[in-house]
Amino acid sequence: MIDPITLEVIWRRLISVVDEQAAALIHSSFTTVVREAGDLSAGVFDRSGNMIAQSVTGTPGHINTMANCVRRFVVPKYPIDSLEPGDTLITNDPWEASGHLFDLTIVSPVFYRGRGVAYFANTCHAVDIGGATMGGDARSLYEEGLAIPLMKLFKAGEANSALFDIIRANVRVPDQVIGDIYAQEVGNQVGARKLIEMLDEYDLPDIEEVSAQILDRTEIALRAAIGALPDGRYTNTIMIDGFDEPLTIACAITVAGDNLTVDYEGSSPQVDRGINVVLNYTHAYTTYTLMAALAPGIPNNEGAFRPIEVRAPLGSILNCRRPAPVSARHLIGHFVSQPLLTALAEIVPGQVIANGSAGLWNTMMDGIDAHGNEFAYIFFSAGGMGAAQDRDGLSATAFPSGIMGVPVEAIETAAPLLMHRRELRPDSGGPGRFRGGLGQVMELEIITGRSANHSCMYDRTENPALGLLGGAPGAAGDLRLSDGGRPHPKSHYVLQPGQRVILELPGGGGFGPPLERDPARVLADARAGYVSLAAAERDYGLAIDPATMSIDAVATAARRQRQESAAPTQKKEPSPSRDHGAHSE
Amino acid sequence: MTAPPILLTVDIGGTFTDIVALDSVSGTITVEKLLTTYPDPSGAVLAGVANLLENARLAPASIRYVVHGTTLITNTLIERKGAKTALLTTAGFRDAVEIGNEGRYDMYDLALKKPAPLVERRLRFDVPERILADGRVRQALDEACLREICAALRAETIEAVAICFLHAYTNPAHELAALEIARDELPAVSLSASHQVAPGMREYPRASTTSANAYVQPAAERYLERVASGLGASGIRAPLNIMLSSGGTTTVAAARAFPVRLVESGPAGGALAGVYWGRLLGRSDVLAFDMGGTTAKAALTRAGDLAISHQSEVAHAHRFKRGSGLPLMTPMIEMIEIGAGGGSIARLNPLGLPAVGPQSAGSAPGPAAYGLGGREPTVTDADLLLGYLNPDYFAGGSIRLNVEKARASFAGLAAALNLTLDRMAWGVHQLVNENMAAAARVHAAERGLEIRRYCMVATGGAGPVHACGVAQGLGIREIIIPPLAGVGSAFGFLTAPIAFDFTRSYVAKLRELDVAEVNAILRELEREGRRIVEAAGVPAPDISASLNIDMRYVGQGYEVRVPFPLETLTKDHIAKMQQVFEDEYRAFYGKLADGVPIEAVNWRVLISGPKPTIEIAAPEAPAGDGAPYACRPVRLAPDQAPQVTPVYRREQLAQGWSAEGPLIIEEAASTTVVTPGWSARMAAGGCLLLKRGELA
Repeated sequence: MIDPITLEVIWRRLISVVDEQAAALIHSSFTTVVREAGDLSAGVFDRSGNMIAQSVTGTPGHINTMANCVRRFVVPKYPIDSLEPGDTLITNDPWEASGHLFDLTIVSPVFYRGRGVAYFANTCHAVDIGGATMGGDARSLYEEGLAIPLMKLFKAGEANSALFDIIRANVRVPDQVIGDIYAQEVGNQVGARKLIEMLDEYDLPDIEEVSAQILDRTEIALRAAIGALPDGRYTNTIMIDGFDEPLTIACAITVAGDNLTVDYEGSSPQVDRGINVVLNYTHAYTTYTLMAALAPGIPNNEGAFRPIEVRAPLGSILNCRRPAPVSARHLIGHFVSQPLLTALAEIVPGQVIANGSAGLWNTMMDGIDAHGNEFAYIFFSAGGMGAAQDRDGLSATAFPSGIMGVPVEAIETAAPLLMHRRELRPDSGGPGRFRGGLGQVMELEIITGRSANHSCMYDRTENPALGLLGGAPGAAGDLRLSDGGRPHPKSHYVLQPGQRVILELPGGGGFGPPLERDPARVLADARAGYVSLAAAERDYGLAIDPATMSIDAVATAARRQRQESAAPTQKKEPSPSRDHGAHSE
Repeated sequence: MTAPPILLTVDIGGTFTDIVALDSVSGTITVEKLLTTYPDPSGAVLAGVANLLENARLAPASIRYVVHGTTLITNTLIERKGAKTALLTTAGFRDAVEIGNEGRYDMYDLALKKPAPLVERRLRFDVPERILADGRVRQALDEACLREICAALRAETIEAVAICFLHAYTNPAHELAALEIARDELPAVSLSASHQVAPGMREYPRASTTSANAYVQPAAERYLERVASGLGASGIRAPLNIMLSSGGTTTVAAARAFPVRLVESGPAGGALAGVYWGRLLGRSDVLAFDMGGTTAKAALTRAGDLAISHQSEVAHAHRFKRGSGLPLMTPMIEMIEIGAGGGSIARLNPLGLPAVGPQSAGSAPGPAAYGLGGREPTVTDADLLLGYLNPDYFAGGSIRLNVEKARASFAGLAAALNLTLDRMAWGVHQLVNENMAAAARVHAAERGLEIRRYCMVATGGAGPVHACGVAQGLGIREIIIPPLAGVGSAFGFLTAPIAFDFTRSYVAKLRELDVAEVNAILRELEREGRRIVEAAGVPAPDISASLNIDMRYVGQGYEVRVPFPLETLTKDHIAKMQQVFEDEYRAFYGKLADGVPIEAVNWRVLISGPKPTIEIAAPEAPAGDGAPYACRPVRLAPDQAPQVTPVYRREQLAQGWSAEGPLIIEEAASTTVVTPGWSARMAAGGCLLLKRGELA
């Protein structure tokens, strides 16, 4: 039995090993989304495929799906004792791994003293995987690109050249895609080398005992956090834009002792567009959201998944059947965080945030550049986050995704695009005692002199982020062309030279009644231009003298009283409620 | 020798102002330490210099040059006490500093705070103009609009203006024109332009750096003026040089133009001192490791010199979280800071396992053993219980350590884990060592360095106590415990060359490289650098110039930096560039990306005076005979009883003295713990050299 001090020392060391793995991967990667956006995950697993530690980089959609992929799919098919040194496995199966073909999961066994002791795995977003472009247009998985069933990428150090040839022949930018596969392999090998050094140093045969203890302790800690919640069933339902028709995401959280079940019964059925979510991905964002709200100090590993059960009806948008199209699954998957947090607001209002932009806005452009070469470029952008009990929401910040945006100068250097503006979007933060975060506005043009294909993956253009406990919704998003055209926010269209596309990203929802907002905060917002004078008056009942930009206290009190009594009686009790999904305004 | 003999350095830290004088003829070192004065730190500088001159009977005219480093700039940023600053950006991009990277530095913290931009939104202005990524002008600068904005700035009584236009690093024409107009309209205002302050791609960190430069500039100008005139008034005629974060020094004029380059110059001096002591004993791969009361810092050399980074952060919203600070793109000695020090508190983490730091008891109340009200167990308390520290000789006896209070502080934690107090104390010592080793290991891995080859130079009050443990965790086999650790940064300044570097981004595939264009850029950078270094008093023949090129495969986002001869380039140099890149890349990543074209991204020209060769006199012959002055029980392994261990006083050890561990060497500044398996020797220059596995 390892004593607690040695256990902590070794476990810290494992975390530094996976950070070294991620560092090697990032530094040798060819893809902007991996490097600048941090769209990757890396982790170490015991012999049975239990994830013990993950690197500090990464995004839940990759980390937690990778964890499930290794334990539930890789290990049963390739038990560690069936592998040999120099083997590496690869897959991009959406149902087994991270929910769409773009993500390549690469898994390498580690051998020590003649025996398999661990797996290192990482998941990265490839810049291209063939098929139609990344939007949600496809009608089935088969249109979405090259599928790679779980197989060996390297066998005893020998590259699977047939597979490399097939990948090269199927993707638009083979050098980058193949280069990144090598980077992923380099990351795993660095991790393996460091793990072996650690085993040597501590004279351990493997990491089985460390894994068992860390997982058990994690499970116990999370069960304690769940056990502290009142038993009951907490529900919430939201509407999101969907592809052609709006979709419902319904969740019911059941707390029973130290177990927690999330059931998405009542959510919409799957659709024949590429926005369906596999259960593995739904599970990933569900466990992530619950951990962030209930137990942010507890590490994320296999032990953290044990007390939480996640269900969604087979054939629903959150547990789609093969071969449903799934390319833009994050458009829907990121939204499971929203009703979950609202449902939890009933019991732990201080630990949650109001709804926010939630889905990343993914912009992909492809076409022919000025030199006649093909280009394909994708970047992610974030709207506003929801407000909380004691603070405003963060503006232009990704949540629940863990990725980062890309500088305009990096975009314009890598792709023939011109960004005319990128700035915060005034009045987009939902009014509240604490205000939702602001979205942003972007205006783009193609400068090749030719047209380009713009694939859109944007949500909340119809359904804004709702406020919480009396807070008002943030502004919905908007997509339009300079000549008045209105492209479909989840499809693709041809952007003509000289035409500009304007993206207005959604804001986050407010928290608490807006009329309770400290007038000094409203004034500061007005002076900064986060809130217009008209909105300060309309939403917050503030009388500001535009000449001096100061508050007229008497007029404000009177106005607030008038607005208060004019408003329909607002329920002060929590808006999410048991067994039905009402929202606050 | 007609040149005046004395080199004088001054380092202003948060608590103390340290002054070191080296007589370059005799090698004698004189030290002065006094409390930093607030709000005007120049008070302590001038008073301390006067004291030192008087005590050492030195004439002001005997001083050849003065090097000065200060935390003033860092503190101004952390405390947000800078000038009222405006930011002018390309129209449509004034929010780049607020939108930032759109990420969250801690994925699980729903309540995380981001650092607020130094310039509030109201004072960020859109200027119509546009330059494209390739440097072509798309839209001319709207000068009339700019003059209107300047009028508004006058009305706001703005003290400093930062200008950051998109792609100004490829074509600075619009920023230069804007500077001219602003100078004309706002003659009394400090101006900073991004292509001069931080000429690299990525508008968010560039605008952040430029804003920071403008924000600190008025205070820096006033302060540097006071120090310069104060020293002049005291009769010192020697030129004043200012320490930079990059490890070089520069003129007051250049420091006033780019004050943001002074951030963290004190720690830079500490790292330089580490390199100096390593070189003195013939080691070129050095890990400078400093562990104080709250934090530990580490810096690594690469090919014998400290690595320089152009990506750092300052004024963190969350002290120990990477990504929570304001980004800076200025050259800075690459250094990591870890929340691990003598005051770091041990607690149970949510898994019921012990964790140490980053919370710290600091110096007030300090560790429980200080008896100042601290009750939580700290690293210093653990070190005391293990027998490493002498309760009567901590900080030279100025702080009495209370063993009973230390024991009491550990009782709860030990009981919770069902461990003895001693085992618990051992665990805390070991955990903090592993935390520091892990940080250094990942840092080395991110740079492709093999850390086990390094020699550690350990400083700071807690550094020598933990050096053997940290070294062991890194596979390091040699440690130097240098003398003069109490004034390490000021001492390091003595070794800093007069140097300045300039960078220009010029992105081009190697096979399409326009060598005429590159030559023009390099000549301009070199001319600028030489002008500054010559102004600092370095004769032209002594100036050296070197080039580093950042290169990558097309499509990658991280560059590999390779040194390249700075000479007039021809087409023939291109194959050589490819080769040095591939060599470096292979060393770093193992495999080349065959067939992918290579591009050059940044061109960095470093202009440097000669590295000062300083020689210090041999320490005075010790008063004692080198025998231990005492013995005490010390715990050296988790499962063994404490072992009676000899204790030495450092000042009693003469050069050539050696002994095998376990042993303890006490001095006023720290305590060196030599664990079993290590040996110690008094080497040249008053350095203690510890080696693993062999008698030194």
